[in-house]
Amino acid sequence: MKLKKFATAGAVVAVSALTLAACGSKSSSGDSKQVLNWDESAELPSMDLSKATDVVSFNQLNNTLEGLYRLGKDSKVEPGLAKKTHVSDDGLTYTFDLRKSKWSNGDDLTAKDFVYSWQRTVDPKTGSQYAYLFDGVKNANAIMDGKKKTSELGIKADGDYKLTVNLEKQIPYFKLLMGFPVFFPQNEKVVKDAGSKYGTASKYMVYNGPFKLTKWTGSNLSWSLNKNGKYWDKKNVKLDKINYKVNKSNSTSYNLYKTDKLDATPLSSQQAKQLKNDKEFLARKAASTFYFQYNQTQKRFQNKKIRQALSLAVNREQLTKKVLGDGSTVSKGLVSKDLAKNKGKDFADQAYVKEGVQNDNKKAKKLWQEGMKEVGESKMDINLLSDDTDKAKDTTEFVQSQIESTLGDSVNVHVQNVPFKTRLTRSEQGDFDMVISAWGADFADPISFLDLFTSDNSQNDGEWKNGEYDKLIQASKTTDAGDADKRWDDLVQAEKILAQEQGVAPLYQQSTAWMVKDKVKGVIYNSSGANYNFKDAYIKE
Amino acid sequence: MKKYLLKRVLYMVLTLFLVATITFFLMKLMPGTPYSNQEKMTPQQIKIMNQQYGLDKPIWMQYVIYIFGMVHGDLGTSFQFSNQPVSYLISSRIGASAQLGVQAMLFGVILGIIVGSVAAIYRNTWVDTTATVLSIIGKSVPNFVLAVLLQYYISLKLGWFPIADWEGFSYTILPTIALGVGPLAETARFIRTGMVDVLNSDYIELARAKGMNKFGIIYHHALRNSLIPLVTLIGPYTVALMTGSMVIENIFSIPGIGEQYVKSIQTNDYPTIMGVTMLFCFGLVLIILITDIIYGIIDPRIRLTGNED
Repeated sequence: MKLKKFATAGAVVAVSALTLAACGSKSSSGDSKQVLNWDESAELPSMDLSKATDVVSFNQLNNTLEGLYRLGKDSKVEPGLAKKTHVSDDGLTYTFDLRKSKWSNGDDLTAKDFVYSWQRTVDPKTGSQYAYLFDGVKNANAIMDGKKKTSELGIKADGDYKLTVNLEKQIPYFKLLMGFPVFFPQNEKVVKDAGSKYGTASKYMVYNGPFKLTKWTGSNLSWSLNKNGKYWDKKNVKLDKINYKVNKSNSTSYNLYKTDKLDATPLSSQQAKQLKNDKEFLARKAASTFYFQYNQTQKRFQNKKIRQALSLAVNREQLTKKVLGDGSTVSKGLVSKDLAKNKGKDFADQAYVKEGVQNDNKKAKKLWQEGMKEVGESKMDINLLSDDTDKAKDTTEFVQSQIESTLGDSVNVHVQNVPFKTRLTRSEQGDFDMVISAWGADFADPISFLDLFTSDNSQNDGEWKNGEYDKLIQASKTTDAGDADKRWDDLVQAEKILAQEQGVAPLYQQSTAWMVKDKVKGVIYNSSGANYNFKDAYIKE
Repeated sequence: MKKYLLKRVLYMVLTLFLVATITFFLMKLMPGTPYSNQEKMTPQQIKIMNQQYGLDKPIWMQYVIYIFGMVHGDLGTSFQFSNQPVSYLISSRIGASAQLGVQAMLFGVILGIIVGSVAAIYRNTWVDTTATVLSIIGKSVPNFVLAVLLQYYISLKLGWFPIADWEGFSYTILPTIALGVGPLAETARFIRTGMVDVLNSDYIELARAKGMNKFGIIYHHALRNSLIPLVTLIGPYTVALMTGSMVIENIFSIPGIGEQYVKSIQTNDYPTIMGVTMLFCFGLVLIILITDIIYGIIDPRIRLTGNED
């Protein structure tokens, strides 16, 4: 008996030794594994694409799932599951031919998976916080309001591989939306089997994208993306594995980066200032703009000169370089740079109005005095509302000193730094004089920003109103929706009006400073939506 | 004793109930919604969501529903981690915090007793002065500064321990030291003061007169007596450490509960706020009860129940 055990143990050892030897010879032959070690600064809260709300979730969803299209470099629409797309002349009906593909559990992926996923997201019972992106799909709004059944949504499967989508109005950026995770398919059987556990751990999930998520328990600080052998385009996926590690302290992640435990790490602004000349340094622009909103229900802020003076008094160059120092750049306008291009021209450049974001103390003073006379005041107290993060505090302190030193004794700025949710609530209630707000685009189209400041938009907290602006935005959605160039011009004109009138005053476009190892190639980063696409990424040793 | 215990347990339940009530209503005073995408949702959409999560009901009704659930062991599901039950969130993350807290406490208290005793025995010599200065430094240097220094010099420069992560005992050493220095300094001060008092008392003189050796006196008489005040200190301190230190957890990337708590408050994640608060509170009242009982056992001068027993 003992001898037998001994023999078994011996055999096990021998086999494992062989296996190890085999592994060894494999790696020595130069066929080393393609592994990327990536830093993340927060947990992964959800893998349920109907309920996800944050960048970490969207990034994992974007790399483990795939929709009709995949967004490549500069948010370019690249083929996903849609093999062929037909758009009706009125732009209201999209017909997609789907390619044959499989879920990671071996199930066939069919048009029904799209129908199920979309219906699930707009169902008010699901509680999706991104369902509003379905606005424009036939009956979507009525279903969200509980007035129609989910089966009435404008999406239909004709057989297994044909999908038809009906719209209520033209959505010029419809294809871009299809690259955003809320529009990806879901496997009904898997969702129903997992029940309330769906999306809470990797074991309850299936995938159809380049990678499969593993080792995620729902709230842990590390997980991996392994290459998905069932992905339709797996031959073009080079990485075998991406290891994610959550580090909330940038000094920690940078230490790990220096010891080669991580291949990429975000930096604090302190670190960014020191490392900005390093060849591995990288400033990732986000489609996120910080701007002043003036409460234009107050008479004084209805005066254009007052608004202009306050904006002209701020030296944005210093704000981004000296105060923030994280690679953030001076805004050219409300719409961020590197978001959208038409005929090779960046929207931000085309809609640039110099006076809108400039610093000119002399002009500021002149306009201020004129404005004060016009509104009949001699001294003004202004409450400046903002978040209570370190960055926001530094910003408000700087803005306060800039305004007070430029405009003199006739203005007193009182800074109010409050928690994020408080800032939002007070903004919504109009409980502010001036507020530093921020907006991030969900998809790579200027409308994602410009929609905010139409007169009746609920996010237009300052209640700036301009009829011409409203008309242009309206035209871009209706009469000019089918003509890309005309629509583009409408939006450019609209933003110019916003800048000239100083409806809001853009300050800066946010960036995150990163260090990324030289050997990491092919990572696609987009400033809006789900930021990272690792499909083409690889390690060059 | 039984009667006393019963009374104390009743008080405990009452305390927990009061804390739950106060926390619930204070929490509802915080502005904003628990939806992380609140910024982009229209008021109409927020209304629909509120209906979905029962947040459109009057606050007192939400309160009754919550307490009813809590009594039945249901802490609700998190908003930040969608669909994740709060009980799972807590149970999956309290382990690391608790382990770290207990280790830091053991490290701090044991070393603190040694340092404190030595300082008392050699009082008013350079040993005493050094110990005092060190404990003042230990008490006044914030633990996150120490943590960053330890990480930089011990892990990065010397490579003795891992920089961060939580995968085995070696990963726990630096955070334990960083977190344990506070209790170490505190314990050392307490022990020193207590022991100096005790060493001056008559029975120590007697023991010495009997010819007992120095360490025998310290161990048998002085230490035991000077430990008594420490009992009051250790209980609540342990709870505070076990329930997570956000800063230390962040620096060493430890999957603990500390940051979750802070984040749940910032994001209005109501069920998580309640769950973690109740856990902290429960730990605290329990440890206070245990401390009181231990007190009665180790110090016969303290009677728990007056003259009845």
